[in-house]
Amino acid sequence: MQPLGTVLEETTADPAELGVEVHDLWRYFGAVPALSGMNLSAPYGQVTALVGPNGAGKTTLLLILASLLTPDRGQVRVAGLDPTTDPYGVRSRMGWMPDTFGVYDQLTVGEYLKFFADAYGMRRAESVPRVHELLELVRLAEYTRQQVHVLSRGQKQRLALARALVHRPRVLLLDEPASGLDPRSRVELRDVLRGLAAEGVAVLVSSHILTELEEISDRVVFVSRGQTVAEHTTSGLMAQARVAYRVRALDDGPPLLSTLESLKVTPSAVEHNGVVLPELSQLEAADLLAALVRASVKVVSFEPEGSVLESAYLAMTEERR
Amino acid sequence: MISLPRGIALVALQEFRMRLRTGRWRVLLGVWLFVLGGFTLLLDLALNNGASAAGANLRGVPLLGILMLFVLACVLIISPTLTSQTINGDRERGTLATLQATRLRPSQIALGKLTAAWSVGLVMLLMTVPFVLYAMARGGLQFVRVAALYGVVALLIGVICAISQAISAMLARSITSALLSYVTVFVLSVGTLIGFALLVAIVQTPRSIDTGSGSYVVYDSRTDLVWPVLAPNPFVVLADSAPRVPPRVTQNGDVIRVEDYDVLSAIGRSIRDLRRPPNAPYTSIETSCTTTDDVTSCGQVGYQVITGDPVWPWGLGFDLLLGVGSVAITIRRLRAPARRLATGVRIA
Repeated sequence: MQPLGTVLEETTADPAELGVEVHDLWRYFGAVPALSGMNLSAPYGQVTALVGPNGAGKTTLLLILASLLTPDRGQVRVAGLDPTTDPYGVRSRMGWMPDTFGVYDQLTVGEYLKFFADAYGMRRAESVPRVHELLELVRLAEYTRQQVHVLSRGQKQRLALARALVHRPRVLLLDEPASGLDPRSRVELRDVLRGLAAEGVAVLVSSHILTELEEISDRVVFVSRGQTVAEHTTSGLMAQARVAYRVRALDDGPPLLSTLESLKVTPSAVEHNGVVLPELSQLEAADLLAALVRASVKVVSFEPEGSVLESAYLAMTEERR
Repeated sequence: MISLPRGIALVALQEFRMRLRTGRWRVLLGVWLFVLGGFTLLLDLALNNGASAAGANLRGVPLLGILMLFVLACVLIISPTLTSQTINGDRERGTLATLQATRLRPSQIALGKLTAAWSVGLVMLLMTVPFVLYAMARGGLQFVRVAALYGVVALLIGVICAISQAISAMLARSITSALLSYVTVFVLSVGTLIGFALLVAIVQTPRSIDTGSGSYVVYDSRTDLVWPVLAPNPFVVLADSAPRVPPRVTQNGDVIRVEDYDVLSAIGRSIRDLRRPPNAPYTSIETSCTTTDDVTSCGQVGYQVITGDPVWPWGLGFDLLLGVGSVAITIRRLRAPARRLATGVRIA
């Protein structure tokens, strides 16, 4: 894996198409800068992943975007509005799900969502069907009359997602939404987020579960120490990334190791569950696989080790340690 | 935009619903009724036992006075618990930020939470009604007097709730804010007394008395200067604001005795006396003179008890200002986007 350049990829999107736009954003807590000149954009209709180590400023950034914290310096636009000067305009267009949050345990699930629908100024004729619709979406409809405290952690997480969506926001900010979710709920979260993006919502999601983000996101923004390190399209990142591959073949064909040797590929490890190949680009990997198949090696699996995003992330944090 | 009353009602109903579902209300209200009933019964027995200054048809007056002082003491203890953790407690539970991120305004959140807490306090106050009715049946009470007492206690509950809420909005930890709320109640009810006592001893003015053969100096306490320290005391406000019951005035030779059988009037009268300058007369003897056949004869026609001016408008005014100021502080602290976070405040 080659280190990622710190040069930003050109964002060609029209500013009017950006749900979130951040330019040279600074925020100090005392003398400690949490954000030191961060740049970021999240277009409508796409899922933008925010990736970075703890303390990189992700939560601070999301708090500023959620109109809860004022920045010290820099430009911020959420749904085209400045959260500092027009917080109420931003709030009616933006949904936010914090990383740690509480729910009103004594309310029923239905009451909880209805309360937030009211707090966003929705009319009854609009809010009642919306609550019903959202509970179906996050698979909590059967719990409508149950008190919130009976829900599991994952179910509360889904309820919080429904809460963030109650007023049909155009911009959705999610801070670690997948933590605490079981695999099935994660798949559903992915589908919900992809569905929202397809409807034109700008989704900005921070997460540590990188394999997850790889599947969800259209764009990836790497941040570290309050700065944007790199901004990529996920497909571009995949194309240029070099990762190790693991290949496994059946024994009753031509031996895998000698075939690799004849192809001048030196395995980096030989393990009981396959041979680990050195880092390859997508193109090199495809060519090698074709060559192995041509040589009649009975390949049963040929897959990247770990995720591209994870490798890129590790390379980035390695570089900055 | 959500209208101010609609937003307040929304937050208040939500808070009220949560309170009803969390606490063991039936038990608490049952205990409260039991305490009130027990106190009223014992007090009534105590007042009927032995020589009471009140006539048999006036028993309700001292009964209600002492009962209301007791109720005030109880609500002063209870009120801080209603709000001293509402803001920072919600921060600790992580429910405040999601509320701040809605279209509700800080004023709606602050006033809604305060309304809910105050209503709980008022429900507790309303539960005294049966016992107050009993006192009224014992005689000597006008409706105006009872209504005034209820009004003042109700306002004082609101003031204490508002102050505790502001403390809760300013401090990060709910335990600290609960403690500080109690300290505030203590300062208002006991601290004012201590402060007053110390200041009386400090603020004195010398006065020279000429005896003809020489002169000596006495020092007068200037309670007329330091009485404002005592004014915000909730018990002083309650006692002094109660419509006065005329004292019983008796004369034995040259000694005129002014005797209150109503504890509230007694407190009120002694508080107002503090406002009089040193050596101002306490009673004046009214005389009326008639002249017949060039002879003027004067006779006493009555006594007038002279007291100082009322203290309660200043005290209640000060307390209400504290309450309004506290609401303003709470609103300020709920404003988002926030410029700075207090140390230890987790915003999410």
